[in-house]
Amino acid sequence: MFRLLCLLIIGVLGANGALAQDAAYLPYYSRDTTQLYQLAVAQRNDVKTHLVVPKTGSSEYREHYKKVVKEASDDVFNSIRYSALLDPVVEPFVQQVFARILKANPQLPTARLVLTRNPEPNAHAVGNGTVMLNLGLLPRLENESQLAFILCHELAHVACRHMENGLQERLTTLHSKELKREFRRIINSEYNIGSQIKALALGFSLNNSYHHRRFERQADSLGYVLLTHTAYEAPQAYRALELLDTIDEPENPAPLALPSYFSCADFPRAFGNAPAKPTSIFTVKAAEKTVLESTDTLKSHPDCAKRMRFVQTLAHDQVAKGPQPTSPPDFARIRSLSRLEVVQSWFDYDCYDHALFEALQLLPQQPNSPFLRSVVLLSLFELRQHLQDHTYTEVVSNISTHQPANFNALLRTLHDLRYEDFTGLSTCFAQASAPAAAMPADEYTLAARYATTVLATEATSATAKGLRDQYQKQYAGGRFDKLLFPVTPAKAMRR
Amino acid sequence: MKFTKRAALAALFALSASAASAQTKTLDGIQNMHRTAVSPIYAGNEVKGYLMFGRGDKADRKNDNYLLDFYDQDLGKVSNVTIQKPSGRYSLISNTFNGSAFAFYFLNSKEDKLEMETYDTGLKKIGTKVIDDISKADKMMISTQMRGQETNGGMMGNGMTLFPVPGLGFVRNSYTGMAKGYAMVMYDNNLNAKWRVASDEKSKFYETLGLTEAVDKYVLGIKMQRDGLMSRKFTSTMVAIDATTGKKVFDMPVETSKTEQLSLSSFTFDPATREFVAVGEYYKLDDKPFVNKSQGFYIKRFTEAGKLIGGKNFGWQREVMAIMPNEAKPSLEDNYVNYAHSIVKGSNGKLYIVAEQFKIVGDGLGIALTALGGRGASVSKGKVGNMFVFEVDPQANLTAVKFYAKDPSNASLPEGSGFMSAGILGHIMKAQGDFDYQFMQKNDANSQFNVVYINFDKEKGEATKKVVGNIAFGDNGKYAVDKIDLTSGSTYSYVYPAKPGYVMIADYYKKKSQLGMKLVKLNI
Repeated sequence: MFRLLCLLIIGVLGANGALAQDAAYLPYYSRDTTQLYQLAVAQRNDVKTHLVVPKTGSSEYREHYKKVVKEASDDVFNSIRYSALLDPVVEPFVQQVFARILKANPQLPTARLVLTRNPEPNAHAVGNGTVMLNLGLLPRLENESQLAFILCHELAHVACRHMENGLQERLTTLHSKELKREFRRIINSEYNIGSQIKALALGFSLNNSYHHRRFERQADSLGYVLLTHTAYEAPQAYRALELLDTIDEPENPAPLALPSYFSCADFPRAFGNAPAKPTSIFTVKAAEKTVLESTDTLKSHPDCAKRMRFVQTLAHDQVAKGPQPTSPPDFARIRSLSRLEVVQSWFDYDCYDHALFEALQLLPQQPNSPFLRSVVLLSLFELRQHLQDHTYTEVVSNISTHQPANFNALLRTLHDLRYEDFTGLSTCFAQASAPAAAMPADEYTLAARYATTVLATEATSATAKGLRDQYQKQYAGGRFDKLLFPVTPAKAMRR
Repeated sequence: MKFTKRAALAALFALSASAASAQTKTLDGIQNMHRTAVSPIYAGNEVKGYLMFGRGDKADRKNDNYLLDFYDQDLGKVSNVTIQKPSGRYSLISNTFNGSAFAFYFLNSKEDKLEMETYDTGLKKIGTKVIDDISKADKMMISTQMRGQETNGGMMGNGMTLFPVPGLGFVRNSYTGMAKGYAMVMYDNNLNAKWRVASDEKSKFYETLGLTEAVDKYVLGIKMQRDGLMSRKFTSTMVAIDATTGKKVFDMPVETSKTEQLSLSSFTFDPATREFVAVGEYYKLDDKPFVNKSQGFYIKRFTEAGKLIGGKNFGWQREVMAIMPNEAKPSLEDNYVNYAHSIVKGSNGKLYIVAEQFKIVGDGLGIALTALGGRGASVSKGKVGNMFVFEVDPQANLTAVKFYAKDPSNASLPEGSGFMSAGILGHIMKAQGDFDYQFMQKNDANSQFNVVYINFDKEKGEATKKVVGNIAFGDNGKYAVDKIDLTSGSTYSYVYPAKPGYVMIADYYKKKSQLGMKLVKLNI
């Protein structure tokens, strides 16, 4: 009990320290992408080298295998080239955890870890022994041991060659005489080909999912053993799965304080009045989603509850259940910084609704964060730009029961906005407890200042031009250069 | 009309669906696609979903599987229904929703039958009806509809439709003989016939009735009457039918004054004031309504008993010209005339009349050849000009004329058009789909309207420039224009009505056999 209390106190102090420290944090950005490119090329080549096209099998099978390898290697290249995070804080931390696991498990094959900016909480292993960890997973974990279990699980996939075996099994089934015969039978049957192929595809997918679940069970089992070899707390494996089981639920279900940020004397607006999504005229019961249609999240793929029961058996009931004491200071900081990086990732992926939502959720805890405030203003700027370009629906999600209620409430507001509203919103937000301007203005603050000016006066105003010149002078080739000041095709030609 | 779907082996490899949250939809394996394959589903004024009708694979030796795919107003897939019908000879003419049931109207070309099916909101079939006796005029009308051309609401009737009557059912219209007369049959949601209204077989007149609105206890329509099949003199009549009993409670010609002839474009009922409101154009006394160039438009109000209680004329050259924006005047002086596409009444009591300019471009040689008995493929060209919105306040004052310039587009007209008068030419151009006007959208409260038109160069083709124009107006008193650049690499691009404040754009890529649908929020 005393130990728990101490942990709590240390945790709270650590978290507060991290908050204060992170108020001025700006997400990592480097103009130099050489390292990313080299890493991406190396990984692409490695995947190609690792997944050797079998010499046996039909020519169709080999061609298909080649195609899959090409696609997989290109995917790896793109993931790394455009989303790997090589920052000086979070990335070294996760690499350190990964290295400790490898050191404690020398029997493991060569493996490496890539941290990606993907904001979705997930992780996966690639056939060549590379584990891809999404940044979005880090804020959802409570401690390093839980992260270690996730990585051990992925390493178990690598050790068991699940990707290679899975690929071969799939392709072998696809090119099997039985399937070909069945396919030929369907084509020759002449009638109802579509529904027969659909049934065949469904059977294939179900079979595939069965193998997938079998692999997951193996990975949990071996992953748990790998974790026990390390100094990390093995009981946290169960808790990690518990967290994955609730990964689709919002971390903070409280409604956003939209009126306090976006309604003011200059722009009085009642935010509860945004029209609700109209009731559907259809009373069709939503069809059970097939494996083909289901979205892949850590909760559903495969069933976490079953995995938890399995791990509990493995651990002889020595498991950590329920919320764990607040993270130790190091991990608390990693969580906190990852959370900010996730906001930036949503923004970089053009998901301005998500970026706005995440920033507004974090702002009450870090009201003076220039980064969070800038993301809000820059998101408004981008949203208006997309509204003007008629691509608004491509960057603002649909309201869905699968999403948290507070996010849906924000979406209702966004769907209801008109072009001229963005001026009022940004004006009110700029007024709402604006912190003293940093001197000199950091890149985010300057970019947000430009965005606010354009929202208020259009890009042709003298102030906007001045801010643009200042940004381009101070941060030439900076993070927002292309986004805020896109080069028109005509200008590009002249250049 | 329909799309054709290929049973794709690719389904074996497609293991993930596209993001469920986007207001877009991409469909693969679409081998061909016509504009009418997708049709909006309305509940009242607003779009509440979409229906995609397509042909799938063969069901048996004689039948194909036809697919009815339902989407909600956000393009989320709701469900699908598969029906087995004659191979390659089955088309959807129209889809309708009356608030409690969906009705689908099919043409079975193989057996020369019309078929109706109704479904409840859970998409369970609740009614079927087969119509064996299709008149020649019906066939002609269907054929026009199937070509994707518009059937004119006033002069030629409403095409072949199932007209939704909220809470009661659907009215099916048909044409008797060679469009000599009309018949309307009301069915409940289970397609049991409830009442029938038809033209008098003994009447010496040729009559068509186009239903326009189901409001309050009435089903309203505009009846057009003429002396003979080839007659160019039309008389417009306002018709109101009791929706429950089918009794005609109002069948009255628009009063023809001593100084002018009148045509009728819109006939509505205002439940708040219990008044019928008629809007149309007026012509010189010696001219023929719809045939000659109109002199202006008029508004008349009647009590439920049919008594005229108010009316006013607005002359193009006087009242309209007086407040016409300067930039519009040259086009009016350039022999352009107006074609009124839609007339709506806002909840603010104002009437809005949406018109598009057109004119015939003389081809002297062609006209001369025709006059001399020569035959040419096309001796005249039509030209489509700019858009107008006329605003009339509840006191019948013309309060605004809004002008929206767009690139002129050309239209090929059938031989002999050079001798036709302006009014009839407008209807021909409308029927040929020559106008750039596409449709008007309105919300349930009748407080916001949006006129959609397409502006593209018909000589250089849509690939060079294609813009969807949106003119928005309503209770807020503001007129806004939003232009969407639709120039793309797609084989075809179509624009459809959507939920208020949006339009739906569908891009079809023939090579990729792919159809992309997306909602576009209007910047209005």
